[in-house]
Amino acid sequence: MASAGSGDEKAAAAAMITLISSDNEKFEVTEATATLSQTIRHMIEDGCTDGGVPLPNVTSKILARVIEYCKKHATAAAGEEGSSSSFSDAAFLEVDRAFLEELEEFDDAFLEVDRATLFDLILAANYLDIKGLLNLTCQKVADSVKGKTPEQIREMYNIVNDLTPEEEAEIRRETQWAFE
Amino acid sequence: MARRGRPSLPAPAPPPDNDDILSEILLRLTPAPSSLPRASLVCKRWRRLVTDPAFLRRFRARHRRGAPLLGFFSEGRPGILFTPTLEPPDSLPRGCFSLPLADEWRILSCRHGLVLLLHSEELQILVWDPVTGERRIAVPPGFLTSVGRMVCNGAVLRAAGDVHGGTESSTFQVVLLGNDPELTRAFVCVYSSENGVWRDPISVACPGTFVTCIPSAFVGCSLYWYLIGDSAAILEFDLDRQRLALIDMPVEVPPIVWVIPADGGALGFLYLSNRNVYLWKRAAGGDGVVGWVLWRTIELKNLLPLTSDEALHPKKIIGFAEDDKVLLIGIRTTDFIFTIQLESMKVMQFKIRLSLTSIYHPFSSVYTAGMGLDDEHEGNELLLDA
Repeated sequence: MASAGSGDEKAAAAAMITLISSDNEKFEVTEATATLSQTIRHMIEDGCTDGGVPLPNVTSKILARVIEYCKKHATAAAGEEGSSSSFSDAAFLEVDRAFLEELEEFDDAFLEVDRATLFDLILAANYLDIKGLLNLTCQKVADSVKGKTPEQIREMYNIVNDLTPEEEAEIRRETQWAFE
Repeated sequence: MARRGRPSLPAPAPPPDNDDILSEILLRLTPAPSSLPRASLVCKRWRRLVTDPAFLRRFRARHRRGAPLLGFFSEGRPGILFTPTLEPPDSLPRGCFSLPLADEWRILSCRHGLVLLLHSEELQILVWDPVTGERRIAVPPGFLTSVGRMVCNGAVLRAAGDVHGGTESSTFQVVLLGNDPELTRAFVCVYSSENGVWRDPISVACPGTFVTCIPSAFVGCSLYWYLIGDSAAILEFDLDRQRLALIDMPVEVPPIVWVIPADGGALGFLYLSNRNVYLWKRAAGGDGVVGWVLWRTIELKNLLPLTSDEALHPKKIIGFAEDDKVLLIGIRTTDFIFTIQLESMKVMQFKIRLSLTSIYHPFSSVYTAGMGLDDEHEGNELLLDA
């Protein structure tokens, strides 16, 4: 899959985009990688990426991670397109499955970050409109509270309980079984 | 293209203030019944977000595929009874979802979070969403009256997009199934809530066989029912092509057979015989011809935690959850129901007042009652479809 022809490489090299983090670090990425972000895709379509795309809300640390994600997933998308014509159906399915497994492993490893980084990635994914990354990171947070009591959730995410005792009593009364 | 400085993007709100992002996270909470009540007790903001009717609709639509098996419905005397089967804290209170109906109401089908009921004398049907409380009554014109056809079975289902696509719409189809009195033909009649219309009945010759009360299986885009009689058969109703067909079965099957979805999207069936459960599926043989093959045998003797005395009591398959691949087995005189998950082989035991003549309809849904959504449907209880 990674063995794209030299012509493809040339075409990819021709369409490079420069992304500029909030701390003024520049990242050169292919258009295929950058356009996983709908926000950047629209800017390219509008022709306003000359001189680089400043991302004043994304630090270089987070942007590097986001680009890592986009590179991997852009390769996956290209791999799927490229392999469909050159493999028999069975071989294609086999390659496809191996690739999906690899992608899943990548995603799992990618999510091994501290909570602050995870939230920064969510904000960046939301800002740049990268659906796959937003889904992945939001799901990670949602999974982290699975089976937790409200008290445990508050503690995990440093949330202040501002419900009045009356409101709390009302919720507990209506759905008492959920707290047993 | 003029080069005017650098383009600027809108600044995002930080997470504590961005409700959209928090909603995206909360939407991805597991659809276990305790999820949203627990989230609503975290703080005012979480409570406001998870009790918002639009959020609840999205939550239900998102998790409709893969909704948890909450328990099963059976016909009580009187009314419809629900037995919850999840473990705490997701075990719903006994008595939830109970529907006080007259004895003549029978459950025909449970699928995609909907229950289909038939009033055998007044020839009415009821489609009930136990979570939202939405109910509709429809009377199929001409299906029952003109030539004395009888409704014996039926199925309810949502359109594929409504189950898998995460859309918020809630259209459904009802398929009623019956025989003519001479038992020469099987009829189906299809209703769609989208246009509120019953299509003309269609039929297929099936001499010497009749429809049972065993619920349908939904495989691919077809519904399947087991037909009992001189030669057992499976009736296939292709929903896309609106076509009926008969599929022969191996001659050696016993009288009570459940049609099920087998692995890999194949059609299968199972039955209980000599304390074993036998699973068959349709598969292509070495010669490429599609036929029935015995796929798995499950020995109940070693699987169910029974005393040597109880092990001798007659057992019966009383339900099957097609999405969760959970088999329900009742044991006479013990008041036990066992559920067996056919992939993990996990066995669970429930004590209920068991009636082996009843069928227990597994109910999977996203439970959001008590979170504000049910208020929305007040005053919308009975919609009469002519």
